[in-house]
Amino acid sequence: MKILQNFWNSPIGPKTTHFWGPVVGWGIPIAAMVDTNKPPELISGNLTTVMCVYSALFMRFAWMVQPRNLHLLALHAVNESVQLYQLSRWLKFQGFLGDKSLQQKNEEAET
Amino acid sequence: MASSKLQALWNHPAGPKTIHFWAPTFKWGISIANVADFSKPPEKLSYPQQIAVTCTGIVWSRYSTVITPKNWNLFSVNVAMAGTGLYQLSRKIKQDYFPDTEAVVAKE
Repeated sequence: MKILQNFWNSPIGPKTTHFWGPVVGWGIPIAAMVDTNKPPELISGNLTTVMCVYSALFMRFAWMVQPRNLHLLALHAVNESVQLYQLSRWLKFQGFLGDKSLQQKNEEAET
Repeated sequence: MASSKLQALWNHPAGPKTIHFWAPTFKWGISIANVADFSKPPEKLSYPQQIAVTCTGIVWSRYSTVITPKNWNLFSVNVAMAGTGLYQLSRKIKQDYFPDTEAVVAKE
């Protein structure tokens, strides 16, 4: 009961934008998780690379901002993980991770 | 004088010595990456990702005006995110739901 009250009245609780901002932000890692089951052609190398740096910076931001926002921190920690995974799928697909047979397959698919 | 104005900016609580500056500044990368992807064919865009980028942009524009310190850099970057996301969505929706004959022929 006390936990619920503390949550309800928290400076980053559901009465504040500090809560609802990250709630909407969860869309980004959830979208990425949905995209992990799709073919790597759909992955944007540009956007995924940017997301990896972006979430790393925002984990720090969430810690330092007033009020400290652990919800936001959790969001960006999860996003960092899933974006790194998508990046690895994209790198593999592009042949950057040294799988020459995969590169040949992609070249054949393009012709 | 100019130098004290620059000093004020340099020492600002959301200035370049702080994460409050660099995190939002880097967030421009998302919109820049999206602009770079304007030239990508719409079938290679991801609905979930572009919807997420658009919605976060919209909500976070408000968020950045109520945190301490207020962050106009963060505000503007989220406006840009919403804008580029909306444009990418419009491109993809146009191709998926309102294809013109040219696009149909090109697909075949």
